[in-house]
Amino acid sequence: MNIIDVQEVTKRYGDFTALDSVSLSVPQGCVFGLLGPNGAGKTSLIRILMRISAPEKGQIFFKGHPLADDDVFDMGYLPEERGLYKKMKVGEQGMYLARLKGLDRQEAYKRLREKFEQFGMMEWWNKPVEELSKGMQQKVQFITTILHKPSFLILDEPFSGFDPINANMLKEEVKKLKDEGTTIVLSTHNMASVEEICDHIALINRSRKILEGDIFEVKNRFKKNLYSIETTRLPEVLLQQLEEQKYGICSQFSNDYYTRLEVKIPEGRTANNLLQLIMQHTDIHAFNEIMPTMSEIFIEQVELANQQPDHEE
Amino acid sequence: MKNKTLLIISREYLTRIQKKSFIIITILMPVLLVAMIVLPVLFMTLSEKRQFSRILVVDESEVFINNFQDNEHYEFCYRSGDIEQIKREAFDQDFDVVLQILSNSQGVKSNIYYKKNLPTGLQSEVESQMDDIFFNQLLKDSLSIDPQRFENMQTLAKSEAATIQIDDRGGEKEHDSEVNQIFGMMCGLIIYFIIIMFASLVLRGVLEEKSNRIVEVLLSSVKPAQLLVGKIVGIALVGLTQLVIWAALSGAILLGIQLAAPDLFSSDAVETVATTATSGEMLSNGAELAADPGNIFSMIQNYFPVSFGVIIFCFVFYFVVGYLIYSTLYAATGSVVDNESDSQQYTMPITIPLILAIVFVPSISTNPDGSLAMWLSMIPLTSPIAMMVRLPSGVPAWELLLSMGIALAFLVFCIWFAAKVYRIGIMTYGKKPSWRTIFRWLRQ
Repeated sequence: MNIIDVQEVTKRYGDFTALDSVSLSVPQGCVFGLLGPNGAGKTSLIRILMRISAPEKGQIFFKGHPLADDDVFDMGYLPEERGLYKKMKVGEQGMYLARLKGLDRQEAYKRLREKFEQFGMMEWWNKPVEELSKGMQQKVQFITTILHKPSFLILDEPFSGFDPINANMLKEEVKKLKDEGTTIVLSTHNMASVEEICDHIALINRSRKILEGDIFEVKNRFKKNLYSIETTRLPEVLLQQLEEQKYGICSQFSNDYYTRLEVKIPEGRTANNLLQLIMQHTDIHAFNEIMPTMSEIFIEQVELANQQPDHEE
Repeated sequence: MKNKTLLIISREYLTRIQKKSFIIITILMPVLLVAMIVLPVLFMTLSEKRQFSRILVVDESEVFINNFQDNEHYEFCYRSGDIEQIKREAFDQDFDVVLQILSNSQGVKSNIYYKKNLPTGLQSEVESQMDDIFFNQLLKDSLSIDPQRFENMQTLAKSEAATIQIDDRGGEKEHDSEVNQIFGMMCGLIIYFIIIMFASLVLRGVLEEKSNRIVEVLLSSVKPAQLLVGKIVGIALVGLTQLVIWAALSGAILLGIQLAAPDLFSSDAVETVATTATSGEMLSNGAELAADPGNIFSMIQNYFPVSFGVIIFCFVFYFVVGYLIYSTLYAATGSVVDNESDSQQYTMPITIPLILAIVFVPSISTNPDGSLAMWLSMIPLTSPIAMMVRLPSGVPAWELLLSMGIALAFLVFCIWFAAKVYRIGIMTYGKKPSWRTIFRWLRQ
């Protein structure tokens, strides 16, 4: 079941089209990577999902019904540009933001204290935000985002501004939220974190969606039949035969102890064919398929899309 | 949903009234205001109490001998002889000044000798007494008229003109147009300061949320309209709180002074201050008003051609509508710019009418029925001030209603305008939008 269904959404700012008939679906309970170059329209889409702005055309469904005002109580949003009231006390601010999300005073206080204790921030409760370090402010902001336990969470570049330790803590927190059943949309340029925590992705380029799907399915779709083989030695005759049989040798490396080859399997042949051929000449230590990284898919797909003639400037 | 607006209002309100600067200004202002009225009176009273001058008169003309009148501040003694010697001796004999009157065919010439300081008011006291004595002497000698009879005749011949305004129903009311002017000007000025102070608080509040980017977080929970209404109402409540505290504190302080020193505002002292201070009349009127809080109401009731209730109602109306007009427009401005210095470009067209209204307050006040006053009290950007200045002097009902109607209609337009601009402006960073861009937002 999908928690979010975006149907043919178009958003314009004056003459500029920020989203051009974009449709996508976010399955319930997944971590959904919303990817795309700067200015592609990710933030526009997020703002529409959060009902901060309204689309000119198209519809959004949340848990099966058309997205309504009250649904924001069940959503959390961490914008890319973070901000808090600088002069307001940390605790008061947390209470205020939590209550705007519909929590009553007691519940907000209870949960906020819990989280502050968990993150070791109780001593900051009565300090104004401006006295906190940037990382601390980020933590406060993250806590206020998830305090009302939304079932749908949008994190826009959540890792920017965090040091590796805090970034890792955040990653663990995201995984925990996912295990608790929260659906999370992660808009980021950090491809490593996409590989690590996303189950699903959509790629937006120049206001259009160019790719969407389960992360393994996507990788499978764009894999190039590349295999990496480690062997004890690399006889000349093997290389000759590989070439004769139209295997593409992308790279080769050898030292005194082992050799490594990267081979592209041509149409009509399988990995098993390749294995059989190599086995005849040498001992195999390792054999595995090289899957494309999300980063490679991203770059390739964006470049491909930008070459399309219908994408006029 | 309504709950959230209340939540925003309470945050806007509470964070502002908890600020140190708010508390200081709220307490300090009435103290300053009262000090401005009380201190001159107090100083004058104190300095008068301290002063007692002994004057040694050396009269060569012999006209003035024994004719000066002693009073609580001055004692006159007379001596004749060599002026140089008298001058040498007099100051040792506890005289403060030596008054030498020279005989002269042209008139009277005199010198006042003193050491260190000349007591305040002594010169004018001496001159005025000399004028009277000399005038009486002339009456007697040249015209053979008894000065006492002349004074009686003068009193008889005194005439007085009361100013009475006749209203449309033929009713008559005696009123003092000066009090009207001052009261109207005060109302206009209060409204001006409130608008300027609190509307720019709205601008800064909107700008703060925009520039520290919290607005995006807020907008993921509430509608832009809720945020805008919450801010404007919250700050309005701050303004009202401040006004009420000011009024209460000023009243309490004045009452306290009145109880502690009931004679402070006795008309003598007030008159003296009034005549010496530069803005004498205004001050004395203010002091008189303040002196007897119990009487203010009936006094106002008697003076004004418009009933006091109507004035209070109009004050509240123009205060609220004026504030709302300016704060919505300022909020729209705050939403389109990224920093405060850029905001001037947009607030200028709406701030200029406000300043013009203040500049024209004296002209409106002296000619409340003129065409300038009439037009300024119709234009919604100036009417909250202009109409309040005119009101105590009497304004035709249709003009008042028309002015209120225009102001309300304009307010509706401002709310629509601000809501449209704010919604988009608040999420637009970077380039300052041109007026054309803003007009396009209005159509969206």
